[in-house]
Amino acid sequence: MAFGREALRGMGITIRRFYSTYRHGLNLQPSAAGDLPAPAEARNTKVPAGMPTRVGGLATVQYPEQKLPVPERFRYIPFLVYDEEPDHERADFDGVRCTACGICAKVCPPQCIWIVQGKGEDGKARPVSSEFYIDASICMSCGFCAEYCPFDAIKMDHDYEFSSYERHESWVFDLQELLHPVAYHAALHPSDYAREAAEERAKAEARAAKEAAKAAKAAAAAGGEAG
Amino acid sequence: MRAVDDLELIQPPPAPSRPLPPTEPVVDEPMVLNIGPHHPSTHGVLRVVAQLDGERIVSATPDIGYLHTGIEKTFEGKTYVKGTTLAPRMSYLSPIHNNLAYVLAVEKLLDVEVPERATVVRVILAELDRMASHLVYLGIHALDLGASSLMLYTFRERESILDLMEMTGGARMFPSYIRPGGLAMDLPEGFEAAVGEILDRMPSAIDEYETLLTKNPFWRERTMGVARLSAEDAIAFGATGWLLRAAGIAYDLRKAVPYCGYESYDFEVPVRHEADAYARYLVRVAEIREAVKIARQALSRLPGGAWMTSDRKVAPPPKQELADSMEAVIHHFKLWTEGFKPAPGEAYVGVEAPRGELGMYVVSDGSGRPWRVHMRSPSFTQLQALETMVKGGLLADLVTGVANLDPVLGEVDR
Ligand code: SF4
Ligand code: SF4
Repeated sequence: MAFGREALRGMGITIRRFYSTYRHGLNLQPSAAGDLPAPAEARNTKVPAGMPTRVGGLATVQYPEQKLPVPERFRYIPFLVYDEEPDHERADFDGVRCTACGICAKVCPPQCIWIVQGKGEDGKARPVSSEFYIDASICMSCGFCAEYCPFDAIKMDHDYEFSSYERHESWVFDLQELLHPVAYHAALHPSDYAREAAEERAKAEARAAKEAAKAAKAAAAAGGEAG
Repeated sequence: MRAVDDLELIQPPPAPSRPLPPTEPVVDEPMVLNIGPHHPSTHGVLRVVAQLDGERIVSATPDIGYLHTGIEKTFEGKTYVKGTTLAPRMSYLSPIHNNLAYVLAVEKLLDVEVPERATVVRVILAELDRMASHLVYLGIHALDLGASSLMLYTFRERESILDLMEMTGGARMFPSYIRPGGLAMDLPEGFEAAVGEILDRMPSAIDEYETLLTKNPFWRERTMGVARLSAEDAIAFGATGWLLRAAGIAYDLRKAVPYCGYESYDFEVPVRHEADAYARYLVRVAEIREAVKIARQALSRLPGGAWMTSDRKVAPPPKQELADSMEAVIHHFKLWTEGFKPAPGEAYVGVEAPRGELGMYVVSDGSGRPWRVHMRSPSFTQLQALETMVKGGLLADLVTGVANLDPVLGEVDR
């Protein structure tokens, strides 16, 4: 008798789970496709203990109409950042932050980044890349390039949908495909962007203070000469 | 090679002109049965050549090598830090432990101090990794024996652990979050709450799994007394981990050779004496409960402060400094292009991975890249015990044996 009882007890769990999923699903049934809560809310939606926390609806997520939110640190393929309102240092380079220093290419474990340093009309090297390629079919999404770039010029994208019918050229991204405005980066990585902005402010203040000190000194020197 | 068109020209063999003489039934020749390399219950590309006498197994020889990646050789061409992305890829079910063992070995070579916060976070992640790995084992083991619903439940809990990994290190499977000297970055906001939620949920989830299996007559029938591996055999094969613990030997590296401060945590080493598949199942379930206990203790003592060593030989200069100091930029550039250079020597560190002792042996010749990296992977060592475990049993017990050994083929072939 005990034989059957334990098996039935197990079956009871399965039935209970089935039923609770069903009820939970009816409560959360999205009214229309794309109705998933915004990423921040989705994380906090209260669901019964033991239920998957990131899925709503009787059916599972209706991909590709709906998508699960990804955390800020999620990484897929890198992209390059350019400032639409560049500061004076990068104004000559259309705000592209990359200085072609080559660290990302060096730290990339599978070696999928190619950079060609830009040259001025006089043939002198300029701190900007004239060509920049990333072979996304080789990239292992490790994020080292973004982590070690000293200029915050390369960041990890959250877009994971770029399957193609062709296996070679369409997976090698060139400079134009890689460049994204800073607003795109700020939207994906709010806290990382906040850190950058704070550093930027600190830098600007330090510069302003230095200039003020210089001006004061010059004024003092001028005053001294006059006196 | 034959052209495709030729295939149509192949004639069926001519029918024998006279009936073949009746043959004696062959009784003394065992049948050879190939299982795998592509078979759902071989957990990867494992081929088992089984000799059968009727339903009885005469021999079962694992034929390995289908997943050879040359990963040990690849290490030699990468700097030490790049190696952290490589090490986890050996075992895709316990990536954090691979990451941890490699980093501990490199740190031993470098002789660096790791901040307390990093060490405690490593313990939390390692225990979560153990839970995730054991959950896969439980679900897949049950699935192999025909109990399909359990997998849905164990993968549900595992999913929340993987989500946490993604939130912490940016990737579900291979975050490479543990780095020589500490961690890649500080913990994200909400980490503690997310871990707490998982830990709160886990005990009742384990109860649920146990209700489905522990007393289930079918489960007991398929695992009790099956795939036995005695303590002597286990030691002779170099088996570690739960294979030993299910055979009555309380050997756990976290107690025997503590790392990451495991000696300061209060936990038990579950031991059984039956040495069969069922005992191993019980040991693993108990281990999940212990892992919850350890992770909870670690969470409660999580200190603030630095997460990366301040030793500039290993750690990069903070970004703030890069903006002001040219020296910092040069140092940064040198550190990431050439890598840090440990003094010549060798280091071995073993950690108690979900499958047993996972060791990393790293040899430095003083350059920025390891001269040799060798992995002592538990799956490889323990797979050879398969034949001893299933010999004389029924063919169906081979499935139990493989599922119970829980091999990761990436670890076996490397
Ligand atoms: S590390 Fe940054 S600045 Fe240097 S080449 Fe790469 S993207 Fe450009
Ligand atoms: S994410 Fe990693 S693999 Fe991909 S380009 Fe950056 S460094 Fe290379």
